[in-house]
Amino acid sequence: MSLRTVASYALLVVGSIVVAFPLLLALSYSFMSESEIATFPPPIFPAQATLSNYEKVFGTIPIGRYLLNSVIVSSAVVVGQLLTASLAAYAFSFLVFRGRQLLFFLFLSTLMIPWEATIIPNYMTIRTIGWLDTYQGLAVPFMATAFGTFLLRQAFLQIPRELWDAARIDGATTFRFLISTVIPLSRPALGTVAIYGFLSTYNQYFWPLLVTNQVLMRTTQVGIAQLRFEESLRWGLVMAGVMMVAVPTLALLVLGQRQLIRGLTAGAVKG
Amino acid sequence: MKGWTSRDLRGLGTGLAYLAPSLFLFAAFVFIPLAQTIYLSFFNTRATGAITTFAGLDNYLELLTSEAFRTGLLATAIFALYTVPIGIGLGLVLAVMLNQRLRGINVFRTMMSSTIAISAAVGALIWLLLFNPSLGLLNYVLSRVGIHGPEWLIQPTTAIIAVSITTIWLTLGTNIIVLLSGLQGVPEEIYEAARLDGARGLRMFTRITVPMVSPSLFFLLVVDTVAVLQAFTQIHLLTRGGPVDATRVLVYSIYLDAFQNFRFGFASAQAVILLLLVMGLTLIQFRFVERRVHYQ
Amino acid sequence: MRRLATFALALTMVATACGGLAPGGSDSSALAPAKDVAPAAAITWWHAMGGVNGEAINRIVTAFNSSQSKIKVEAIFQGTYDDLLAKLNTALASNAAPALVQVYDIGQRYMYDSGQVVPMQAFIDRDKFNTSDFEPAVINYYKYQDKLQSMPWNASSSILFYNKDAFKEVGLDPEKPPVTFTEVADAAKKLTKKDASGATVRFGFGPSIYGWLFEQLMATSAAPYADNGNGRDNRATKVLWNSAQGKAILDWWKAGVDGGYFYNPGIDNAGSTNAFNSGKTAMYIESTATLRNTINVAKFQVGTGLYPRPDNKPKDGGNIIGGASLYIMKSRPAAEQQAAWEFVKYAMTPAVQGQWQSDTGYYPIVKGAYDTGPSKEWATKYPQFLTAITQIRESPQNRNTNGAVLGVMPQARQRTQKMIESVLLGQATSQAALDAAVADINKAIETYNKANP
Repeated sequence: MSLRTVASYALLVVGSIVVAFPLLLALSYSFMSESEIATFPPPIFPAQATLSNYEKVFGTIPIGRYLLNSVIVSSAVVVGQLLTASLAAYAFSFLVFRGRQLLFFLFLSTLMIPWEATIIPNYMTIRTIGWLDTYQGLAVPFMATAFGTFLLRQAFLQIPRELWDAARIDGATTFRFLISTVIPLSRPALGTVAIYGFLSTYNQYFWPLLVTNQVLMRTTQVGIAQLRFEESLRWGLVMAGVMMVAVPTLALLVLGQRQLIRGLTAGAVKG
Repeated sequence: MKGWTSRDLRGLGTGLAYLAPSLFLFAAFVFIPLAQTIYLSFFNTRATGAITTFAGLDNYLELLTSEAFRTGLLATAIFALYTVPIGIGLGLVLAVMLNQRLRGINVFRTMMSSTIAISAAVGALIWLLLFNPSLGLLNYVLSRVGIHGPEWLIQPTTAIIAVSITTIWLTLGTNIIVLLSGLQGVPEEIYEAARLDGARGLRMFTRITVPMVSPSLFFLLVVDTVAVLQAFTQIHLLTRGGPVDATRVLVYSIYLDAFQNFRFGFASAQAVILLLLVMGLTLIQFRFVERRVHYQ
Repeated sequence: MRRLATFALALTMVATACGGLAPGGSDSSALAPAKDVAPAAAITWWHAMGGVNGEAINRIVTAFNSSQSKIKVEAIFQGTYDDLLAKLNTALASNAAPALVQVYDIGQRYMYDSGQVVPMQAFIDRDKFNTSDFEPAVINYYKYQDKLQSMPWNASSSILFYNKDAFKEVGLDPEKPPVTFTEVADAAKKLTKKDASGATVRFGFGPSIYGWLFEQLMATSAAPYADNGNGRDNRATKVLWNSAQGKAILDWWKAGVDGGYFYNPGIDNAGSTNAFNSGKTAMYIESTATLRNTINVAKFQVGTGLYPRPDNKPKDGGNIIGGASLYIMKSRPAAEQQAAWEFVKYAMTPAVQGQWQSDTGYYPIVKGAYDTGPSKEWATKYPQFLTAITQIRESPQNRNTNGAVLGVMPQARQRTQKMIESVLLGQATSQAALDAAVADINKAIETYNKANP
């Protein structure tokens, strides 16, 4: 191993620990008793690891159901987003038409609207069409994404024009080109959109709180809030809940990484 | 329509066909609610949200002449200036480190992008613990190396920095993933060609890497700015807009007026102004910065 | 003679018409559904109790549901008090409110002004429900012009927590905690400990910057928070913090922080509790609701004392109840309102209240609860709680100790926090900060009163 490699590894280890430290700390705290957490100087590792916090989480909230709900809703949103964003990004990158610039800004503008401006009217809409306490109510409002569209547009713009021209000469339709060429070549970007969409939906709090009343339709963030007292904070319990809720997202991250790699080695975009 | 040929219309039609699903959802869940909010901003409302009287521009006037608004703008600007450049810069450095072909690189990639898996609420709670002077590790660790850590959330200047650090940490995962994705889209041939030309290290970085990944950088600039200007949860949990309104950014002010003080008309006016500000900022970014982005 | 009779009749008719609006005396049963209305089979109850408290609620609801077969209550957690109120507001606008809802103490005025509440007094008058056993301090907070608007649910107050071991260590009597501002400051100076490098390892006193604590300090100082009888005789038009008492509070606080013997955890209430539990501070002030957890977590002997008050110990000074109460919502059909009342009655029985106290650490609303088994057990396990009970019972009942009623209370609380911050940071003198805060909130009150006629 060259010195350069050793140095690289060293940097990576240090960097990873620094970045992941807050998360690792949360993990550590989830195994500590409340009494131990409330000591000074603050401990890093539990002197006596305990599973009591995790047991308490199960006893306090139906965490399994919340996880299931969150995964279902987030997955639905991802599918919806990939569909709508791919189509839209394609229009913004390969199609040329008057008004394209304006429409693109229209899309981007949706990112800039403060959530407080839309959340209450949206609640009223969902309620009026009877979608309270349903998966659709939780997922549908988020199935269009300016973030995803923008990201895919950047990725699609990287695809060489020659491929497009060649396809036209071959008589391929616009739509065909999207399916046969553009999508397969944009796997890293699509993967990113999927990961991002999943996680941002998974981490929502206020919207699920508003549109769900039934305990069994609630999602993970609302569940974590239930672990927090109005009057006093039990760090161990909350961190245990946090860890349990983070498991699917971390799993997704691990899998997603592989997808990103595969995107690279499966015959890169150019050449 | 003036100057529109039938070809133009057909082109627009095709375009709209692809945009239709997104546009429909946006119309229903973004634009129409926005219109309702804009409408509401011209009225006075009761605490329960019902409209009482027409206010015209009163809400806007009250807002623009209030000192709280100016403080809020300043806080928002400082917060954005701290968070966005550092977040993207740090993300780039780490993404480059993670772009190497080393064994076990996936472990490091996962660890560094893990922040994306943490919701703002959870992340803020963890950092609240870290910044906590009595239980917090941050100051304790600093004290072990001889630095007397500041009272993070108590002093106005450090409070903004603390919220900024938390936000940078929260967005680091996204930044790394997007930049890594962008870096992996750069063909090896380009690096080889540059190496043949004698480029190394920093030169390689600034002349090749950065331009090649500039679409991703630009993307993050726009998206992170917008996200930072909308950051709410971490402020709510860490500082509640304090100390002495140091972190009372516009979006938090809107929350307070809408959900604590129940002044919906007034909050709506603020939301409209925030929207205009963000739009203006984004337009500027597109106009002056996208020029320098290198698309292949 | 006839003219007098006609006059008296007219008066009676007017009085009846004004029913629940006239202060004192008259009967508001007209606002409740008729006594013979059958209660609904199912109702929902929105609350903000998470964790252990939420479990306690579930236990009560389950017991109620299985004790009879007419009514089924569903208790739903709706986030923090803030989130719950936001959701309630939204739900009201689209007619989706629950029958019973828990709203925090400072949401009182807002709830009355919303016009969406059926006052508890209506049911009490209609059924001639006996409230003589109810804790006066608790009831008085939630009465407006002599009518009980909501049923207190989780009641807590504020006390001084102190570390008995630390007291012994520095030669202070662990059974005699300080009571006045000067006593607290003196004790804090003795309790502050520094290490070799000059860094403070223990502060004497560590209150968090919490608007509620300031309200309590005003109350023990016998100083009104707002005008018009603290907002209880009539709608408040201004706040009165910039009095001599308000200044005295801020001066005391600032002197402590500047002198290095008060610790400043900022607005982080959990932080101030952690500081105390971990021994970083030797005394602090907080809600009685944190008592049980502190006793279980701290590795030292925990003592409780009276809440600090000015040196002259004004005899009209006392503590205010905090917490939340239950409202029956008018927008629900009469049957549901009836069912909600049935549940409320059940929840106020001594047995339920005793268990509730034992499970959560909140005050029982009815005095009879203290005689129940769980409550007695609690008293033996946590004798420190006795201070809290005694304090609230011995607090004189007046406008100040009954708490302020303000439509903009949440905003006012936030503003007092900003005010304290600015003083402690040295950005403003006490008087200037008080005046600025008062000016801001007076404007807010004006806006609120105009918007909610």
